[in-house]
Amino acid sequence: MEGFLQALAAGLLIGAVYGLMCVGLGLIFGVMRVINFAHGDFMMLGMYTAFYLFTAAGVQALFGNTVGPFVAILLAGPVLAVFGYFVHRALISHVSGTRTASLEGEGHYAQLILTLGIALILQNGGLIVFGSVLASIRTPLSSSAWELGPFLDMSIFLNKARSIDAIVSLAMMILLSLLITRTRIGKSLRAAADNPTAATYMGIDVDRAHRTAFALGCGITAIAGGLLATNYPFHPFVGLEYVIVMYAGVVLGGMGSIIGAFWGGMTIGLVQQMSTLILPTQLQNAAIFAVFLLIIFFRPQGFFGRMVERT
Amino acid sequence: MTGKTKITISRRALLAGASGTLIASHAWAQQPAEVKVGLLVPISGLYARPGTVMREGAEMAVDHINAQGGIKSLGGAKLKLVVLDSGDTTEKAKNAAQRMVAQETDLVAASGAYLSSFTLAVTEVTERASLPVLTLSYSDLITDRGFKYVFQTAATAGSQARQALPQIIKLAETASGKRPKTVAILTDNTGASIASAKAMREGLLAENQLQLIVDETFTPPLADATSLVQKVRAAKPDLLFFLPTVISDAKLLLEKMNEFGLGQGKVPTISFGIAIAEPDMLQTVSPELLQGVLTCVASWGAKGHEALIAELKTRYKEPWMTQNAISTYGDMWVIKDALEKAGKADRVAVGEALRTMDAGPSKYYPLGEIKFDEKGRRVGAGMTIVQWQAGVPVTVFPPELALAQPFWPKN
Repeated sequence: MEGFLQALAAGLLIGAVYGLMCVGLGLIFGVMRVINFAHGDFMMLGMYTAFYLFTAAGVQALFGNTVGPFVAILLAGPVLAVFGYFVHRALISHVSGTRTASLEGEGHYAQLILTLGIALILQNGGLIVFGSVLASIRTPLSSSAWELGPFLDMSIFLNKARSIDAIVSLAMMILLSLLITRTRIGKSLRAAADNPTAATYMGIDVDRAHRTAFALGCGITAIAGGLLATNYPFHPFVGLEYVIVMYAGVVLGGMGSIIGAFWGGMTIGLVQQMSTLILPTQLQNAAIFAVFLLIIFFRPQGFFGRMVERT
Repeated sequence: MTGKTKITISRRALLAGASGTLIASHAWAQQPAEVKVGLLVPISGLYARPGTVMREGAEMAVDHINAQGGIKSLGGAKLKLVVLDSGDTTEKAKNAAQRMVAQETDLVAASGAYLSSFTLAVTEVTERASLPVLTLSYSDLITDRGFKYVFQTAATAGSQARQALPQIIKLAETASGKRPKTVAILTDNTGASIASAKAMREGLLAENQLQLIVDETFTPPLADATSLVQKVRAAKPDLLFFLPTVISDAKLLLEKMNEFGLGQGKVPTISFGIAIAEPDMLQTVSPELLQGVLTCVASWGAKGHEALIAELKTRYKEPWMTQNAISTYGDMWVIKDALEKAGKADRVAVGEALRTMDAGPSKYYPLGEIKFDEKGRRVGAGMTIVQWQAGVPVTVFPPELALAQPFWPKN
């Protein structure tokens, strides 16, 4: 029982961060219909940005080791959003949005090759610039826990860093939902996602909406990466380890659904942690994909996906 | 001096020059100016860091060998290091090995490939190309396949566990007054870790009267260590044997142990392998959590290596000398000795020289000799036990190589 509750707690905390990570990718896919293979590497850049803001840019000196990491992480979001904005403007926009009409296979081949290329450049560029030495956003929170209990001879440990990560993650999720449902920007994003042609007729700049979505997606994933980095040491190739989780989460939640992506990520976190209760730990990640296949088998559109074809 | 110098070349001079170059190149062919040695290690991906450290060790050795006159039996030929990237998967490592034997046809020997899993794949390729490979990898399998061109300088995983276990139990017993009885094994599923854990499960634990009460194998890199540590917490073993190869796994586990109130000696953690004593650990874990953690490794910067350790510090800013650096350093010297013995820059001759060499006591690997048995294992290969003491992992065993006294982490 104690093992079950502990795994559940760990799964929820990790799942929340995975969820946010997936939302970044889900937003880009939902609005732009571009599968961004470089997304894991944008997350890696987010981790390093948070790391350097924390250590080199004085955030640590100003806010200390407890609050500092989270300030640095939240600041890394906008930095990566600006970066994403320019990457879209300079590269992605050539193979997406209104340009796809003139490209083969609606631009999907070009998008695939371009984003894979960006991924390779970011990974190897990262190796040159940051080196292969592991980095981590060090905080005493990562090795201490809040102990719930003991009740009935059981006590559950909630890792402090992971708990705060999960709270920040949920807060980001709420902010994003408000942005999408309540603001003009959100409206233009939804319009561009639902029907780009009609949106254009209504005077919405679809390319600009795409750019905003890409920037937002990068920023959100950067924050998720930073949150992850409070516990998980990283290196320039860390994106590869998580990009699969992100895809699985987005597909699980339903392609194009943002809240779905969050629950997709959450499911992955839960399955990853809970599977160890009944399966050998070695199969932790295999379990994710077994559950993934099962869900896709019974619900091909994912949790929140829509069955209707886009017009 | 702004005027232009006009160079006139007559047809005769050109001919003379050309034939001179031809004659010279002929002379070079007989007396090679450099002998190429391969280093196939991960310098990209998850394992880039250990691979980089191996390259540092190799570069230092090549510089030292060349500064001392190169290969004397080849007229002072210089060694030249050719570095190939094995990447982060077995598949990539095998491809790199194929590239190495196809493109670098004049290599005489090589060293590699960090992970046992990589070395197993790489040597499948190099064996067919008759290219001698020296390796610091642990897995017993590497030299159990009847290959003729693989030379394992480290004690095998099984042998290391056999040597280490009695020492650890002795240490625990002297410090705490009672003999540990139960043990948990948490191991990743890479070649070396599997080999060590297998040797322990299949007899070594029983020989040392230890009862295995938790036995978990995980796939690196871990996302979180909660489930593993929860099992340790529930079982309360006297000792934890922890076998990671990825630094992030070592960090996640140590922090989780501390978080669950099992860290800093409450459940003494004994690691096997180098990951937990890498300098990168200090970038990610606070020194208090590391204090007292023991790890059993095939080789470590030890007594007698002080000058090398100092050079590695100043030249590459490495805080201490890990197995990756010292073993790869030693490999280059062994290849040099083999070249001296072979008397020609030829891979088959170098392989033969390695098989028959007897260069006396080992200087850069712990204990034993520079001599290989019929399987390709170094004769009498010892191992070292390293302990984190005040933020530095120091050699504490064997006594003749120890730089400090071991202590038992007390709760």
